[in-house]
Amino acid sequence: MADAVDRAPLLRALDLRVGYDKRSILPPITATIARGELWAVIGPNGAGKSTFVRTLLGLQSPVAGRVERAPELRMSYVPQQGALDTIFPISVAEFVLMGRQGPGRFFGLPGRADLEVARAALAEVDAADLGRRQLRDLSGGQRQRVMIARAIASRAALFVLDEPTSALDISSEQQVMELITALRARHDAAVVMVTHLVEDGLERADRALLLDRDHDVALSATAAEMRASPAFAHLYGRALARAEVRPEVAR
Amino acid sequence: MTDSTSWHELFANLPIFKDAIITGGLAGALLGFIGVHVVLRRMVFASSAIAQAAALGVALSFWMPIIIDPVRHAAGHQAGSDVHLISSLLFEPVLWAIGASLLATLVFIANPVRLHLTRESLLGLVYLCSGAGAVIVGDRITQEAHDLSAILFGSAVVVQPADLVLVSAATVVLLFGHLLSWRALIFVGYDPIGARVQELPVRRLNAFLFLSIGIAVALSTRALGALPVFAFSVLPAMAALAISSRMSVVFGLATLFGALSGVAGYAISFRGELPVGATQSALAAAFVAAAMLGRFLVRVLRRNGDG
Repeated sequence: MADAVDRAPLLRALDLRVGYDKRSILPPITATIARGELWAVIGPNGAGKSTFVRTLLGLQSPVAGRVERAPELRMSYVPQQGALDTIFPISVAEFVLMGRQGPGRFFGLPGRADLEVARAALAEVDAADLGRRQLRDLSGGQRQRVMIARAIASRAALFVLDEPTSALDISSEQQVMELITALRARHDAAVVMVTHLVEDGLERADRALLLDRDHDVALSATAAEMRASPAFAHLYGRALARAEVRPEVAR
Repeated sequence: MTDSTSWHELFANLPIFKDAIITGGLAGALLGFIGVHVVLRRMVFASSAIAQAAALGVALSFWMPIIIDPVRHAAGHQAGSDVHLISSLLFEPVLWAIGASLLATLVFIANPVRLHLTRESLLGLVYLCSGAGAVIVGDRITQEAHDLSAILFGSAVVVQPADLVLVSAATVVLLFGHLLSWRALIFVGYDPIGARVQELPVRRLNAFLFLSIGIAVALSTRALGALPVFAFSVLPAMAALAISSRMSVVFGLATLFGALSGVAGYAISFRGELPVGATQSALAAAFVAAAMLGRFLVRVLRRNGDG
């Protein structure tokens, strides 16, 4: 597990309350995401995970509190696969090159340097031979790796991934989780991952955030602290809290 | 009338028809290009709603002089059809068409989620309000009904040199803007959240897209009519998407099909003595049918080859 003590904070949530129509749906959240950390955001369906992530990314305003970002922080978002419309004829190369776009960098055609970065990103996720394929024609595992390649190509300091392993088979799940774990080390970046793989997520993450709107829970802790917490035990059962089950059972 | 006489007549009278042919081709190319975004973003009725708003604007441009100065307007009618309108830049139909289109476009730029509505429902609102308004205003301007009908349903006669100039200018300026922001517009349409997180100016890019649709549709509606404008902004893109899976090829083909529908549609309508706008629309639909058929045949051949 990475030591985050001296690492530069990229993002701070300070007494952050998230919700809709000025109504908070979770208790206040205070958390500091530092460079090189991997965070697992866990909780049942409808717990408020997506609302929290959207607020963190600046896509919606906090109900109260605030989010502080490091100056010039570059972020990249990996959506759920289902969020991308398959009607678009987007090639893998075109998709990864989207990662090169940013403020003031979206006019005209991509440059040679952009193409090189995209090629390297595809190679890093073991998808160098997929560049000419259509994104919509790939298998779920291939597509997820390509989506991570776009994030890599963006050279972001903070990657946010929404359910990166949903609808994947077990072998693809493991591949993708290993890729995500490697991201922070290779790119010295922070990773925030919303995941339904509770045990696997806790195993790999430096810190976790447990959200449960129904039981008014927003708990930020290390994996060990999380397993020991009554809120986690209440939600996922004693067996999982003691990590006595295999990861597959925890899904 | 024999075929050769008919085609000969078209070429013999080309100086008379060339403005309409060029306008049709340019509008087809512009709307064909922009139409790819329209189809991919699943908002095909946007151009229809904007065309309807433009039609309302044109109807209002005829009606306003009657409201403001009914005596002079009636005197104008008695003097002759050429001077029956109060001649003023203020009542220029194209300005009213653009104004109404841009107002309609503002509705699309608004974030429908904040209003707890879908964009589709806003399209419906604009279409229905504009349609109802055009019918009501049209009922008030019976003596200009022929002119209005020509604008709404397309007529070669209505294509004025000024229309050609405006459509040409819009084609050059808007296509330049679209080519410049092509990649960003695709990103924003495909993954708006990812684009926002990467700090692209999503709202400004969407505003540019909707404004360009508004201007292209308004000018083309004034020149060609609502029906071919709706057809050009949907059908060439459909045909191109059926043929190719490469984004750049799709945009190129849609532009080509749009231009061909405008030019060849005009020629066919002349040859067959058919309504211009309807023929241009039918030709654009024929491109879709041919593309679908081609795609089906390729699949069958591939399947047989694999077998």
